[in-house]
Amino acid sequence: MDKRKRPDPKSLGGDINEQHEKKVLDMIRKNQGMGATTSELKSDKTIPPTLITRLVNSLKKKDLIREVPNMNNKGYKHFIAMEFQTSKELTGGDWYTDGSLDLSKIEDLKTKCVMILERQRHRHRVVTLDVICGYFDKQENLSVDQTKEILKNLILDNEIMEVKSNGLNEFAATRIGELCYKLAGKNSGNGEARAGTSFASMPCGACPSIGLCSPDGVISPGTCVYFQKWLDF
Amino acid sequence: MTTTEYGIVYAVHIITVQFGSVVSKVCEFLLRRGPLSSREISRLVEPDMSYNQVKDILCLLIQHNCVQAFSIEPPDGSESKATVQYIVLCNNILHRVRYNKFSRIVNEELDFKCGAVLDGLLSNGRLTLGQLIERDKDSGKPTGSEEIRESLQKLVADRFVERIPSPEPVLGNKEQELAKKKGSKAAKILKEPETLEECVLEAATPVDAIRFPHIFEQDSNSPLADNDSNITEGKRKQRDADSSDHNNEVIWRPNFEEFIRRLRHKACVEIVKERRDEGCAIVLKAMLEVGRSHEKKVKTDKSVPMSLSSIYEEVMKTEAGRTLVLERVEACLDQLSATSSYLPAFVIEMDDSYVVDFKSILSVAQKDEVQAVVMRKYGKEAFRMFRYLSQEGRFVETNKIADAALTEKKDPPQILLKMWKDGYLHMQKLVVTGSYVPFLLWKVNKLIVTKQMLDEMYHASLNLSLRLAHELELEKEVILLSSRERDNKIKAKGLLLSSTRFKLDDAIMIFHDF
Repeated sequence: MDKRKRPDPKSLGGDINEQHEKKVLDMIRKNQGMGATTSELKSDKTIPPTLITRLVNSLKKKDLIREVPNMNNKGYKHFIAMEFQTSKELTGGDWYTDGSLDLSKIEDLKTKCVMILERQRHRHRVVTLDVICGYFDKQENLSVDQTKEILKNLILDNEIMEVKSNGLNEFAATRIGELCYKLAGKNSGNGEARAGTSFASMPCGACPSIGLCSPDGVISPGTCVYFQKWLDF
Repeated sequence: MTTTEYGIVYAVHIITVQFGSVVSKVCEFLLRRGPLSSREISRLVEPDMSYNQVKDILCLLIQHNCVQAFSIEPPDGSESKATVQYIVLCNNILHRVRYNKFSRIVNEELDFKCGAVLDGLLSNGRLTLGQLIERDKDSGKPTGSEEIRESLQKLVADRFVERIPSPEPVLGNKEQELAKKKGSKAAKILKEPETLEECVLEAATPVDAIRFPHIFEQDSNSPLADNDSNITEGKRKQRDADSSDHNNEVIWRPNFEEFIRRLRHKACVEIVKERRDEGCAIVLKAMLEVGRSHEKKVKTDKSVPMSLSSIYEEVMKTEAGRTLVLERVEACLDQLSATSSYLPAFVIEMDDSYVVDFKSILSVAQKDEVQAVVMRKYGKEAFRMFRYLSQEGRFVETNKIADAALTEKKDPPQILLKMWKDGYLHMQKLVVTGSYVPFLLWKVNKLIVTKQMLDEMYHASLNLSLRLAHELELEKEVILLSSRERDNKIKAKGLLLSSTRFKLDDAIMIFHDF
């Protein structure tokens, strides 16, 4: 009697697995640069949730997808098809490389920006937004938005200030109403560093233990090491 | 603003140093408990302090303008008598460390003779003209009674000195006070004083004609003498026994309000000079001169409107101002009225008039002071985040702050939490369905930060004072030992501590008095 060969259980399962894998890959590809998270993949009722991890690992091994952490939500990982660039929403923005902020690049760009303004300060002129954007586009391949981010950061550092041209004096070479930038604070050349900030210049102004300090306490003006250092000249 | 905890501790320290711990105990008791009668004070403050001792202490504090007595009218129909209570004037206690600043103003604006008369009033609290003359006779180099009289007249004319307030004003209950002032409609329009201290001071302060008399007579027939016509409407008429002494001489005291006003104006001119230029500072100074006599209170937000011609007229009176032509003055006014992303307008232009915006000018200095502390205490990234939140003026989520400040996403939570714990930021949790971890939102609340800074500055002033005392104690021990070099070093430390305290007091005034 001929025994009919039983169908190979692995091959049957293999077919179904391939179908599921294709489905998962399609779901990931559908969202392009954003890809999909494990919970989003599990939301498809046609794929058994217990299989998702195995399917995803298989796709990773085949170099069809990659895993990218979500910089805005560290607990979530997104799977992205290899042919797509990771969305900025996941990477954190233009300034992120491999999930971390490229601080040295940012500082370098900021230094260059200050140097441009420093050169114009000696000529008693401001620098327009267009000029700065033009420079960074040519030299550093930065977009207008990226240049604006660098300028905003320098304003927050109180290194430069944003002004609107009135067409007079230092604004003579600019259109009235045009956005311009110049150095601020101690770099502005208007005089010495602001002397009004007296509290910050004494030990108590920066003391991390001021809440624990009291006239007769363990930490007191008489025993304070910061006072001791400050007066040790 | 109500006094902060370290404001109270610092005030008590000032009284302790100047009058001793027994006096400061009564002072602290009143500061913490609020106004009380002398009987209540003697019963509660210290078991072994007699009633007479308490009365003497209160008299001393009144003499030095640190306490004001008052009483509240009993309700209609009640047979009980009004009890005299005592309230501490914390601001006047804190002014005691500023006396050399006040003296300097008078020495610069008037002359050294007026300065000497003022010094007498500052060190004694309040004196009559006769007492000032006696004091002058007892000094090493007397200037003579006529000079003293003239100097006092100048001081009163410039409002640096005033007649002492009513010793025991009576406060009616609120509705009665307002009803007396021509009906309920008027009551709604009239601005009510906010705190009990303000009510008491308002009730005690005489009208300007009495407070700063033009006619300078001493005898009981003079317009200065107490009679019914000199007492303001709405105030209980009573013999003002202690505003003149037993010889019926007027008693004078320094007018702290005027000194604070002058210092406020000076600070505003300095702020404008640093942020704009010398020309703008000269123009602003002139505007402040024009508007000064019209200021109803020290902490006024805006000046009265003034024309270009009145401003220019005042500018021309100064040596520095004479170099400015009208066009330059106009250009300065345009600069002062301009708003930019980094500076608000300091002057408001409206209908060919100009108004000084004091609040705007002082806010710039306050902001600088706070941001300098944030930078020093928490670092550059915190400084960036704090400035971003100050600009936004609303709640912002942590990640958005990280993006705006271009910092690593992991850094802001720790930094922001630290600033929040120290009272520099306001925080709210936002729970979103589907998210395991709530979102944290952050905001700079100006009132909270101002109060926190002020408390820390009082604390720092106290620390400087205590450290100075500590160093002087050390000096006494060391001076017996060796070395001129060590001696000079200790003197230099003392100078650094006292000059830092002097400058810190300017910052305190920007946050509290101006």
